[in-house]
Amino acid sequence: MRSTGLKTTFPKGLHYLSGNEAAAEGAIAAGCRFYAGYPITPSSEIMERMALRLSELRGVFIQMEDEISSICAVIGASWAGAKAMTATSGPGFSLMQESIGYAAFTETPCVIIDVQRAGPCTGQATKVGSGDIMQARWGSHGDYQVIALSPWSVQEMYDLTLRAFNLSERYRVPAMVMADEAVGHLRETIRIPEKIEIWDRKKEKGGAPFGTDEEDGVPPMPAFGEGERLLVTGSTHDAFGFRRTDDPEAHAKLVERINQKILKSTRVIVETEDYFLEDSDTALIAYGFTARTSLYVVKRLRKEGARVGLLRLKTLWPFPEEAVAELGRRVKRIFVPEMNQGQVAGEVKKYARCDVISLGQTNGEVIQPGTILEALTKI
Amino acid sequence: MEKYIRPGVKTTPFCPGCGHGILMNAILRAIDESKMDMKKMLFVSGIGCAAWIPSPHFNGDTLHTLHGRALAFATGAKLYNPDLCVMVISGDGDLSSIGGNHLIHAARRDIDFKVICANNLIYGMTGGQVASTTPKGSKTTTTVEGSPYRPFDLCKLVEAAGATYVARYAVTQPVALINSIKKALLHKGFSFIEVLSPCPTQFGRRNLLDRPEEMIQDLIRRCILQEEVRGLSEEEMAERIITGEFLTCQRSYRCV
Amino acid sequence: MPAIIQVRLSGFGGQGIVLAGILLGEAGVIEGKYVAGSNSYGAQARGSNCKSEIVFSDGPIDFPHLTKADILLAMSQGAYNLYCEDVKEGSGLILFDQGQVMPREGLHLIEIGVPATEYALKRLKNRQVANIVLLGAFIEITKIVSRKAMEKAIRVHVAERFRSLNLKALQIGIELGRRVHG
Ligand SMILES: Cc1ncc(C[n+]2csc(CCOP(=O)(O)OP(=O)(O)O)c2C)c(N)n1
Ligand code: SF4
Ligand SMILES: [Mg+2]
Repeated sequence: MRSTGLKTTFPKGLHYLSGNEAAAEGAIAAGCRFYAGYPITPSSEIMERMALRLSELRGVFIQMEDEISSICAVIGASWAGAKAMTATSGPGFSLMQESIGYAAFTETPCVIIDVQRAGPCTGQATKVGSGDIMQARWGSHGDYQVIALSPWSVQEMYDLTLRAFNLSERYRVPAMVMADEAVGHLRETIRIPEKIEIWDRKKEKGGAPFGTDEEDGVPPMPAFGEGERLLVTGSTHDAFGFRRTDDPEAHAKLVERINQKILKSTRVIVETEDYFLEDSDTALIAYGFTARTSLYVVKRLRKEGARVGLLRLKTLWPFPEEAVAELGRRVKRIFVPEMNQGQVAGEVKKYARCDVISLGQTNGEVIQPGTILEALTKI
Repeated sequence: MEKYIRPGVKTTPFCPGCGHGILMNAILRAIDESKMDMKKMLFVSGIGCAAWIPSPHFNGDTLHTLHGRALAFATGAKLYNPDLCVMVISGDGDLSSIGGNHLIHAARRDIDFKVICANNLIYGMTGGQVASTTPKGSKTTTTVEGSPYRPFDLCKLVEAAGATYVARYAVTQPVALINSIKKALLHKGFSFIEVLSPCPTQFGRRNLLDRPEEMIQDLIRRCILQEEVRGLSEEEMAERIITGEFLTCQRSYRCV
Repeated sequence: MPAIIQVRLSGFGGQGIVLAGILLGEAGVIEGKYVAGSNSYGAQARGSNCKSEIVFSDGPIDFPHLTKADILLAMSQGAYNLYCEDVKEGSGLILFDQGQVMPREGLHLIEIGVPATEYALKRLKNRQVANIVLLGAFIEITKIVSRKAMEKAIRVHVAERFRSLNLKALQIGIELGRRVHG
């Protein structure tokens, strides 16, 4: 990759970048100065861009021996005070799951970008899919929460990576950008904003790093080397990190808090967008690249007078239950096109009290407008 | 010693006669004699009995991680904050079996870690299953007729992978062990000390060493300094464990 | 000009199709257009047929992939055969590398041959820049982006040591475009 010649974050204004490049620039803008990763199609351009940019910015980059060590190094760096991230795709995302649970349970801020490809297994490595949505939520064992965002454009690869860092820092939780190959490899006009909002983890000398009475449920997080003599463990622990592996109350309390701190803040975390839904009797719910196709179809059908609209999910986890339930009360039917066999459609069915029709496609290709049009015109 | 033990810690979790307690002592003595600042020390461990040596006991930053992954976590912390003195303390199973890949890669990178591998030749915590370090023929809960495979020579393994300080001692050689840890603390680069640490509960009682003292005596009998090897017959060497400092060099003439 | 123009560049791997697409997209962005581009990558970009697709628009682009090409650039016979029928009838335009591609009869659209490889070899002794020659002819014929914007795009994306070669290739392409079109 060619040097950008920049010792700073990417310049404001209009650029022509790929989604993967934009994600790296979003991370840099958020303050990410540590990257550990392992090459995998179709995410490698993020790693290559980070290698270049972190060398220009004197941050830390390392290519690890696998994805397990990559996410572990990210967590270690985060406790050393870094805003840290990794990027991968399906097979690597699978390998990271145990450590994602560790990050959730130890409340370690970190960002994972999954540029989804066509699974399962090695599947079609260069082709698109979005089959990791459920894995993002449930991939590690036990009950925990993560935040997962879904970019639909190159602009959002930048914006949502930045946002993932902010949410991760604010709530001390692993935040994922569930991109897909189509968005990762798309090149588009992107506007690097004039001003951005940056969140940093709370710090407090002598505070309990794993317990709080604050309303938000998020304790302060000091870093290694600051003299706090931190005690960090992935076993059940009390507010100061002491292992409590036999105490039912301690376990219940900790699991409850790491779940509730996210669920309590869904209003802040969850973002959706409505398109033409005011008078619709039929709705599409879509996310990622497929939402682009969906909007295109909706606009075409609108021209012909159809009362159809789109609810776009920018946040996938925590799930936008309220928006989906509310939509379910207003429309007769909801179509859910997605590049898997109905992972989000299943969630929609849980909350929407109307007909929910899954338009899952798993052929390694993006869903074409014609495919959605055909399904919709059948009714 | 209070300076080194985290306030609130009263007892250690180890079985009577477990070598891990002796090792714990040796590490803290070396840290004390080296006048290390505990506030700048980060102790990283994986999962297993040995991983509890630093966590929660040591009064510095401690990161108790996942089974096998201590070195990977440590890599992130050390690279981001090179001022930390990072000591990785974990078991043989943790570092060399499930974590074997991270071990050779951390050694290859010659990252400045002080790795202490508490080798009890077994998976202690999970109930005495065979490890990648279990001697051929030893009985474990998963090798009922004796282990059919050869164990790793961990020191040779990490040396081949690129470590720049390599030593092996048993907890029965406390003075040499403490001196070795002190050297590792001064060494700039990947230091690895394999410490033979008896596990009477899971290894000894299945291998004709019923009481903890017998295990200690067995180690004393078998451990031999590398300087003493010359002139011994093959028969005299059988069952012996060679200890000592195998490699100490700076990265300038090891790295290619 | 319609609000949306869809361009497909095609050839075989190694002809610089992907770079040409990036340059075209970048030039569009420099001129303030909305642009969405995608291309073959991985094994596809190395061998056989390679393509790069750019959608230009005056406003935000909903579906960013090409639905039907307004314009096809073909640098190899294989790519031409594969894509020549997927161009809008009537208003469509095909630019092909004359000498490399034998055009087909009976397509109801405009076809223009540009001897890009021939000129790259003859004038610059380098077939590697045939893509830029064709690009030059293309922007001269269609005015889809300005020459200035394209030169700027070359400065952004082409390493310094190849820059003047590429700018020369662009110039040759523009002259060729003027000739074959004018
Ligand atoms: C992924 C994973 N697999 C298995 C285990 C179960 N486990 C916990 S400790 C351990 C072995 C520890 O052996 P060693 O590292 O030698 O430490 P020791 O207890 O002998 O000191 C195993 C297999 C685990 N915690 N995580
Ligand atoms: S099981 Fe073995 S290693 Fe674990 S504490 Fe007991 S004696 Fe020590
Ligand atoms: Mg062991």
